Amino acid sequence: MMKHHPSDETLFRFASGSLESGPRIVVAVHVGGCTACAARISEFEAVGGALLNGIEPEEMGEDALDRLMARIEVDSDSGGEAAQRSRPTRADVGIRLPEALDGCGIGPWRWIGPGVRWSRVTIPEDASANVMLLKVAAGRRLPEHTHSGCEYTQVLKGSFYDARGRYGPGDLDEADDEIQHQPVVDETGECICLAALEGRMRLRGFFGRLVQPFIGG
Amino acid sequence: MTMRADEGTLSPEEAIRLISAVAKGRDRAAFAALFGFYAPRLKAFMMRSGMTASAAEDVAQETMLLVWKKASYFDPRRAGVSTWIFTIARNVRIDRLRRESRPATVARAFDPSDEVDGPVSGEAAVMTAEREERVRSAIALLSSEQAQILRLSFFGDKPQSEIAGELGIPLGTVKSRVRLALGRLRLILDDLK
Repeated sequence: MMKHHPSDETLFRFASGSLESGPRIVVAVHVGGCTACAARISEFEAVGGALLNGIEPEEMGEDALDRLMARIEVDSDSGGEAAQRSRPTRADVGIRLPEALDGCGIGPWRWIGPGVRWSRVTIPEDASANVMLLKVAAGRRLPEHTHSGCEYTQVLKGSFYDARGRYGPGDLDEADDEIQHQPVVDETGECICLAALEGRMRLRGFFGRLVQPFIGG
Repeated sequence: MTMRADEGTLSPEEAIRLISAVAKGRDRAAFAALFGFYAPRLKAFMMRSGMTASAAEDVAQETMLLVWKKASYFDPRRAGVSTWIFTIARNVRIDRLRRESRPATVARAFDPSDEVDGPVSGEAAVMTAEREERVRSAIALLSSEQAQILRLSFFGDKPQSEIAGELGIPLGTVKSRVRLALGRLRLILDDLK
């Protein structure tokens, strides 16, 4: 039973298009399995539709429609441009990954500390997004940590808990910079999460920050 | 010939009829009518979210091109026409911003599978029309101040600091007002169900 969902603000930013690609894909994974959040996003998208409908129009350039029709002619002649997408490399991480990650590259598990492994997730259209899979062994306590931006964590397998509650499969934990937490993975089994941090930190800085608590703790 | 900026109004039902005509018959007159209504509004929408007039016009053109190409994917059970076109424009804009910030990344063609799939049932089209109507009513029921903050934060990337400047209120106040406005919107929406 899902208990933790993205905030309305996050769903609103998802719908309006202002959520960064990293958090966006984590929220997309959650929404793929949560009809309540999907419905909420539809409502917020309808806000976008209503705003579009009601906005004071701006005159388009001369012959804008003619130019577009000319492009349509060219496109239908050539049968449309087929977007060439190279298939990203996907390591087997031992679980069936949600559909929302279908186009993403998945790196192999790498050890970053006792009982903790991570795998780099690459979004093809935004290689700089900070997204990762985290695998933490049963009963493992993570040292207390904070982050500078909001951290989005979607539980894919297993569960963890901290002072705010227990997070199981399908739950999304949205932890902003004010939250200090010390998550503990339940004894029943390992926990695999998809996580993204907001903010365009340099890769080294980002993983450094993530790795640091595990190694230093 | 200069396009008339305001093509008046377009009812949700008429918009659906026009999209189906484009989807089924590749009807250019129907497409021109959609273009006349939506392109100037898309341009205005993008300008409001901080784009220059020429970039905004590009996004409007790109979006309308996709409306032509993807008309057969339009599903009235999932969204109204304005909402569907908004989501296409939103994705065009996201791709554009990504390209601008990282010129090396590959452009992505619009893919309808990107869209979040909601539950679809036989009554879904009616439910969708009701939802869109509910959202319109809900926005109308917000205080003008709340409607304004919602509008400002909806128009994309405008940083909250800029919104704060525009409204002459502190940044923290913008955050809490957005939260309040969304809370109120949620209450109204759930109430109207």
